[in-house]
Amino acid sequence: MAEKDQIYRCLNPVGIELPVKTSPLAPRLDTLDGKTVHFSITGEPDITIALDKRLKADYPNVNWTTKKSYTPMPVQLSEEEMKTTDAVILGVCW
Amino acid sequence: MWGQLPYIAKLEKAGIPTVLIDLEDQHEMVKQEALAAGVPNIRYIPASRTIPGPEDVEEWIAPMLEMLTRPLTEKEKESGMYTPAQDRILFEGTLDEAQEFYQQTRIVPEPLNAPISVYTDGLPIIIPTEERVKEMLKGTSHKPEELITYQSDRGGRFDRSLNKGDVVRFQPRLFTATVEKVAVNAVMAGCKPEHLPAVLAIAESGVQTGTTVFNNQWMCLSGPYAKEVGMNAGLGMLGPGNPAGMAIGRAYQLMAINLGGAIPGINRMSSIGSPINRVGLAFAECADKLPPGWKGLNEEFGFKKDDSVILVMGTEGGLNGAQFSPGGYRALQKSGHGGMARKLGVKGIPGPHNWLDWILPDIWVGEREGGRIFIMVHEMAKHLYDIGYKSKGEVLEYIWKKSFEPLKKYRDRSWVDLTTNGWLGNEPQSGKPWKELPDDYMVPAGGDKPDSSCIIVCGSDEEICFEITGSVRGMWGSQPVYSIDAWR
Repeated sequence: MAEKDQIYRCLNPVGIELPVKTSPLAPRLDTLDGKTVHFSITGEPDITIALDKRLKADYPNVNWTTKKSYTPMPVQLSEEEMKTTDAVILGVCW
Repeated sequence: MWGQLPYIAKLEKAGIPTVLIDLEDQHEMVKQEALAAGVPNIRYIPASRTIPGPEDVEEWIAPMLEMLTRPLTEKEKESGMYTPAQDRILFEGTLDEAQEFYQQTRIVPEPLNAPISVYTDGLPIIIPTEERVKEMLKGTSHKPEELITYQSDRGGRFDRSLNKGDVVRFQPRLFTATVEKVAVNAVMAGCKPEHLPAVLAIAESGVQTGTTVFNNQWMCLSGPYAKEVGMNAGLGMLGPGNPAGMAIGRAYQLMAINLGGAIPGINRMSSIGSPINRVGLAFAECADKLPPGWKGLNEEFGFKKDDSVILVMGTEGGLNGAQFSPGGYRALQKSGHGGMARKLGVKGIPGPHNWLDWILPDIWVGEREGGRIFIMVHEMAKHLYDIGYKSKGEVLEYIWKKSFEPLKKYRDRSWVDLTTNGWLGNEPQSGKPWKELPDDYMVPAGGDKPDSSCIIVCGSDEEICFEITGSVRGMWGSQPVYSIDAWR
């Protein structure tokens, strides 16, 4: 057989994607009124400052909490804070 | 994405509903990372890159909040195991057929809208047949099935520490790899078996590619291995022509594509890309021509003189160099003539003169703050030695001190809002809160410490100093020097 016609087994260069146990989303809230909703601010102040103001002005019945980082890495809620937090908004993700 | 998606996943799994604000061109990256974090159906809404914040928020604040209350769909309630099929043999056929197969492309939509190679950097490759990969594996004592793990403690990266024995997760898809997978990519890049230890050491770095910024990936070898495999440490060492340098450099980029899953326009979002990454850049320092007492990169980073290591960098910023006209530098040092001598006030006075004063502190004007990697020819390093700098550390101290500028000026830079975390923390030199410091407080534009910068000496004779913006001790990166010997 000519070399150009020889059949070769060629290996896969792609990395190994580990199996992942997938989870459902958390059940949604029936209403935001009276709930504690946390805004995790990660940079992009042009957007997040405007959003923070609107949330507090337009949704006064929500108990808003925030943690702020100018970097993309969120300042995480503690385990104790998670127990009293009903929902989280995170942004901007980049 | 800097730990955002793992955090979102943690919250959702704890029963706390979330919504993520991203940018529209990054949806695919969000989806990939959400899957890797185990919550593939997270809810997200795009913000605009161009519309002013208040108008932008008006568009999506209501639907964003609705995502916290709208009942889950059946799909969003699903749980299970994601187990992708991954075959060891990717293709069977002739070499010509294989070349066509490995050259296949996909169209990546806007903002790219062009074909991008699936398995390669766009150029033809050496086909990784079983036989060639087996031959490549003779370049290491490590077993083919061995997972790539850290060979030493690496310090912190983001919110986790990386320790010896930990499995390397390749960026950005967080894939893992075996020694054989690395060898496959080394074959494709045109490496020889003796190059494999260097390629494995590069693999240990996780071959990151950055996200949206101007990220340059490059490597510098230090120690006897570089000479053993014929790396060019002399004239043109950053350019083409040296088989070892070209193949090892290319291996980084092929591993980023295949082991990392990095795809321009999907999860490798550097806006215009970098020419440094086009094929890959690996070169060697010229330790033989270091001035007396100056240490090579291996010793600077805690290894021994006979240890072989590789500096694996992902620097973010510009490239600058070739400041000196032909003969201009020599005129300064030989007889004190020309523009450089006029600027330094040494007209008619023979050298050696401190040529750094000719480029400092201007290299920080119009560029980002932080460290620089100075790649200089040995003659220029010798001139610094002759005027009194008996170690690289003394030179770096001098450079750093020249970088100080008033806080008022420092505040006007772009990256500083990010690197100071919005000026919320303390200034490193004084330990005082940034917001309490006066306008005339002097801040080092050259990084927090002198060794934020680095010097690499090369063996060419034509006088040049090339500066790469970036620090060898970056704010989010782990220690960037990896042992080649560990992978022999």
